[in-house]
Amino acid sequence: MNGTIVVTGAARGIGRSIAEKMASTGPVTVVGVDVAPELGLSESITPVQVDLTSADGTRVVREAVEASGAPLIGLVNNAGITRDARLLNMTNEDFSAVLEVNLGAAFRLTTELAPLMSDGGAIVNIASRAYLGNFGQFNYSMSKGGLVGMSRALALSLAPHVRVNAVAPGLVSSEMSMAIPEEIREKMVESIPLDRMGTPDEIANTVWWLLTPLSSYITGEVIVVGGGRSLS
Amino acid sequence: MRGIVHWAKDVDEDWASVLAELTRAFEMSRSSAQGEGSIVYVVRQDDLLGRRGAGNAMVACGLLSAARTAALEGARKGWTANVVAFDDVADRAIVEAWARRLLDDGAVNGELIRVGSGHIGKTLA
Repeated sequence: MNGTIVVTGAARGIGRSIAEKMASTGPVTVVGVDVAPELGLSESITPVQVDLTSADGTRVVREAVEASGAPLIGLVNNAGITRDARLLNMTNEDFSAVLEVNLGAAFRLTTELAPLMSDGGAIVNIASRAYLGNFGQFNYSMSKGGLVGMSRALALSLAPHVRVNAVAPGLVSSEMSMAIPEEIREKMVESIPLDRMGTPDEIANTVWWLLTPLSSYITGEVIVVGGGRSLS
Repeated sequence: MRGIVHWAKDVDEDWASVLAELTRAFEMSRSSAQGEGSIVYVVRQDDLLGRRGAGNAMVACGLLSAARTAALEGARKGWTANVVAFDDVADRAIVEAWARRLLDDGAVNGELIRVGSGHIGKTLA
């Protein structure tokens, strides 16, 4: 692979693993969005700090891609937040905050960058196993289902030049999952056939594969990386 | 049985339009849940597959996922959440009858009912 890859939410967790994985696998420039320079990511990762829910934010990312001087071969929409509550108690603020970051920002950035994508490029949207439903996450699962819908629509509209897929991680060891109360987290692990949480690297490996020509005949799909929890 | 049937509106290919439609669905759903009423979303099969643009696909697939979460929450309280998807040749009266049945019945929860044959051979939603 040779070119530029944009990864949002690259400061920590799954996004950081994806950015580092891509930076380590070839002559690529990775534009890591939401990354402060002092975080100490690899030198081949260009840090960009922006608010992706604003038009200015997506423009700054586009300018960073153009400044890289290499063709845009990959985009990973990974940035996401949670604001959990049962539906009957969910506030409008919690609803719109999650939708804006998880879905709106991904849609805006993809709209901004799609015209720059080179032939044979690939987009991967990080959804969540919660798109199949998760108690207390009406806003989050709606946003991730929306990302799946966006992936399918763009897979059709950007074909045959660019492939678009979604990855739906299950319970992964990260800052976000550590915010879940331990007792609940342990019960969740008990429901996973592979009997453990996933690691950010295991998600990054799947994303890497979807960005490379190894998956050249796959578009419009959702790949659940969840240790079998969708079955249990 | 009490509840709401929410027909997804067509939206433009811009985020403000998508967010407005999803917010409308959220506010109606929250109100229904507060009264322990059931929820049915009605969407187009084509939109679950992304065949009418990203805006409509984000709404339809977002509603399907939201219904699955609402279904988990409603199961503890005795109300349900489901989705009806229809294709181009489906009769509106039949779609409405399925939506009403899902509200009244209470036995089906977290399910996608597809009216018509347009989904056969396509991806699972």
